[in-house]
Amino acid sequence: MPSARLLWLLVPIAGLAELGLFVIDARRAPRVSEWQAVRAEVAKLKRPADLLLVAPEWADPIARYAFGDALMPASDEARADVSGYARAVEVDALGATATELDGWAVREERAVGRFKLRVRENPKPEKVLFSFLDNARPPFLSVTAGDSGDSERPCVYTQHAAVSTGGLHGHLAFPRERFLCGGEEFFVGATILDDQEYRPRRCLWAEPRGGESVRLRFTNVLMGRKIYGYAGLSYFLFRDGAHGPTTVRVHVAGQEIGSYEHHDERGWHHFELDTERFAGQTADVEFDVASDDPNDRQFCFYADTR
Amino acid sequence: MTNTAARKLDRLDFSIAAVLSLTYVALLLATVKDLGYARDEGFYFQAARSYEAWFELLHTDFRHALQPSVIDRYWSVNHEHPALMKSLFAFSHRYLWSGFQLFREQGTSYRFPGMVLSALGIAVTYAWGARETGRLAGVVSALALALMPRVFFHSHLACFDMPVTTMLLVTTYAFARSLDGGIAWSLATGVLYGLLLDTKHNSWLLPVALVAHFILTRGAHAVRELLAKRWAFPNAFLAMALISPLVFYAGWPWIWHDTVQRLRDYVAFHTGHEYYNMEFLGQTYWKPPMPRLYAWVMTLATVPGITLVLFAVGLVVSFSAGQRARSSTPLLWLLCLLMCYAPWWSDATPIFGGTKHWMTAYPFLCLFAGQGFAFVAERISELVPHKRWAPFAPPALAAAVLIGPLCMTLHSEPWGLSFYTPLVGGAPGGASLGLNRTFWGYTTGAEQSFINQHAPPHGNVYVHDTALQSWETLRADGRIRDDLRGTLNIAGSNLALYHHEPHMHRVEYETWVDYGHDAPADVGTFDGVPVVWVYSRQ
Repeated sequence: MPSARLLWLLVPIAGLAELGLFVIDARRAPRVSEWQAVRAEVAKLKRPADLLLVAPEWADPIARYAFGDALMPASDEARADVSGYARAVEVDALGATATELDGWAVREERAVGRFKLRVRENPKPEKVLFSFLDNARPPFLSVTAGDSGDSERPCVYTQHAAVSTGGLHGHLAFPRERFLCGGEEFFVGATILDDQEYRPRRCLWAEPRGGESVRLRFTNVLMGRKIYGYAGLSYFLFRDGAHGPTTVRVHVAGQEIGSYEHHDERGWHHFELDTERFAGQTADVEFDVASDDPNDRQFCFYADTR
Repeated sequence: MTNTAARKLDRLDFSIAAVLSLTYVALLLATVKDLGYARDEGFYFQAARSYEAWFELLHTDFRHALQPSVIDRYWSVNHEHPALMKSLFAFSHRYLWSGFQLFREQGTSYRFPGMVLSALGIAVTYAWGARETGRLAGVVSALALALMPRVFFHSHLACFDMPVTTMLLVTTYAFARSLDGGIAWSLATGVLYGLLLDTKHNSWLLPVALVAHFILTRGAHAVRELLAKRWAFPNAFLAMALISPLVFYAGWPWIWHDTVQRLRDYVAFHTGHEYYNMEFLGQTYWKPPMPRLYAWVMTLATVPGITLVLFAVGLVVSFSAGQRARSSTPLLWLLCLLMCYAPWWSDATPIFGGTKHWMTAYPFLCLFAGQGFAFVAERISELVPHKRWAPFAPPALAAAVLIGPLCMTLHSEPWGLSFYTPLVGGAPGGASLGLNRTFWGYTTGAEQSFINQHAPPHGNVYVHDTALQSWETLRADGRIRDDLRGTLNIAGSNLALYHHEPHMHRVEYETWVDYGHDAPADVGTFDGVPVVWVYSRQ
């Protein structure tokens, strides 16, 4: 019998091999109960300032369900980036690593069940001196709307505004705690946008409406060598880039130190402004957000000093 | 060119076809209860209710029902799709749910015609495969189709995708039979193509495949006949030109007046269809250019690999030198298959429907797989020609190539759109590659127990991608508590569903802001991959 003919047996073998691979694939990812079982170990490793993240990233909802928002709060999930974290705990479910932690040293690794838990350290952590986002309330922040001068009016801070959500095709969530500048929709407050990879980014909504700018004044800000920030609009809503740009002018102690012009199609975009000459001082910082385009400038930004 | 090599089907063949189709319907009914109602099903339920009311009116006040304004009132719902399936949904609801009370759930009664048509597709695949390649090969072809997880999923639904798959197959089969001569199959082709036109717009391209087949197999002969002033075209073409439009027209009251304008609108809707979002290899596409590899990669990633292996063997065997004399039917299969994939050769064709939009190709793919099976079975039998167990080799091979698809298909329920084959690493591999995990909001069905247990009395549930009509049918069927209200407003909700698609994440983030936390109260997973999750206001 020519051995080449035996090759036809590869067909049934392939059928059975596919069955075997199917069984392996169906079982290889940890189940919800396994995620729940590893929570205690994760909680032991994670310090309050640590970032906890999982790999592969698609397992994140299971991790949030199993670990709870005490270990995985929205403030961490919707981080601007990882540069401000000194340490992270990585939960590896399928031999994966988090690409955001590329270059971070592995200080500790242990196997727990089907997981590997790693403690990783940022080789160049940047210390955040003041987060404008986390201090977006009185007495640190006051907000005005309208052009400076007679038409400028104060926005009223409330912790009890009506939450409004736009659904898939509507606006981002309008938070309960916000500065109202005229009506429910003209405001400044913390929300979460979707970036160009549809990931969450926590930010300060500061929409100039109908040609009116908004001005955010933070007092007694501990300054560092730079103002480090990101800006964007909901990428899903504005990814076509059909609108005009939005500009943020930044003043420190009454002096303009620079500006950032944002174009919608960039998505969540990084900016930095040099504050070297103010380093170590406390100063008032003002963000003046404006646009020549009067419509749908649903601008949102993150900023800190470092 | 008469297909003289084909077997004549006998009573046993019809019995096998009947058993296959009845078993398939039984399996679909047995697995339907955990499957939530897909987004489009909700719209078709609504349309079917409206059409059912018109049929009632037609029964009680015939003349009034035929007035244009009355027709418009009842048939304007979902007029972007023709009416055959929605009319069948309406009749099934009227007679099998309201009348004979055959089904406990309205939704199942709406879904039943789709199941029956899917089963008919399995039966015809068997018949054609058995006729061309032999009985066991026919069984393998039919089961290879039935046991594609995505086909199995869509076979449950009150939608048009499996019905159009079946109707396109049946019409093509009738056309192929008409080529053997006789007027009955030609007339049948005309009627069936009219019904196909009335099922879904995939039907528009079939004549291209049939004409191409005619030119390639009979073109030269036709030219000679025409020169001799003799009729040179298949009678089926004449039937398709004369009968099909009448059937199409008769079956869709919406086009009974303002016909030309409404047909224009119908064509314009589908040729200028909106681009919905679809994730593919980690990127969300929402505008052209769409990835040209989409249809091919998704076929590889969702059709069991062994079926594709048999298809490849069958394709080569069908067009190898020794087989050319019989190539008329395989050529027709190949042309139909290519025709079904043809729209995705353009980077302007939307890809939002996942695999369902080219599912019409799969019966032809499986018919080739049957040919591949027959060829391999013959070769393996030849390895042991004198052994007593040699006759068992083909059934053993059939078992070996079907057991995997069977296990995958049964395992995939009720997560049909989340299923991926081992070629891409199953559901976890698909998630890691960034392939779409779900769409259409049907996985609410997987969370119905949690919702019923945890929603407060008279609570509001944000339904996300589930159509409110689908939610209402879940409620009417008793699958969701009667006191719960579906809402599209997160801010007013007590529970919020999230069906995962990357571009929809923003809805989840709105929930985080409103609910004040980011931890789901429940997660629905398929093979460890999160597909749908629920947030609870604390």
